[in-house]
Amino acid sequence: MGKGTSKQQQASHSDSEVSFKGTFIAVMLVGVFILVSWFGLYALFLSR
Amino acid sequence: MHLHKYEKIWLTFGVGSLALFLAIIGFAAFWKGTHPQSHIEVIDPQNVQAHESFKPENLGLHEVADGKYIFNIVASAFNYDMGVDADGVPVKTIRVPKGSTVLYQITTIDVVHGFNVAGTNVNMMVEPGHISRFETVMKNTGEFTIVCNEYCGIGHHLMYGTVEVYE
Repeated sequence: MGKGTSKQQQASHSDSEVSFKGTFIAVMLVGVFILVSWFGLYALFLSR
Repeated sequence: MHLHKYEKIWLTFGVGSLALFLAIIGFAAFWKGTHPQSHIEVIDPQNVQAHESFKPENLGLHEVADGKYIFNIVASAFNYDMGVDADGVPVKTIRVPKGSTVLYQITTIDVVHGFNVAGTNVNMMVEPGHISRFETVMKNTGEFTIVCNEYCGIGHHLMYGTVEVYE
């Protein structure tokens, strides 16, 4: 019984590892977009 | 608390970005002197002539030192009063050499106006009772159109002028 529980935990643990990858990429894309647009506008401000 | 490796990365990224932006704001505010264009300095909108900068003879562009200019403007519906030239004709175009420092000082006698020198960083809201100031170096040559970018009424589009920066 105890063995079964630990197996289930292990299974759900490895599931979340897999599902995080897409989230990670999406979050980083949003972050990079914010930084690039912010610095683009700041460069425009400094050049004028 | 268990934090996933990726979660640690994007939390670091997010907190790092906040810290970076905060540092840049501090740099801009305390080192570069960036601040809101309208501060606590007030003026009676019914009697702007009482202020030294907005006396009729002080309106328009004045060279105060070598390469340093002050440009005084009184906005009203629907005109920018930039003074008159030697023939008494209202000034609509000012000319400054490239690289000069210009302090723009503007106030309004009636409603809220905008003051934007398109293509430069000069972009201010002009509120009755307040003096808006912005000092900048005119780095790029060209003709820049002054426009009112706060809708002020039926003649809003008639408020314009030109800043010419020559080599």
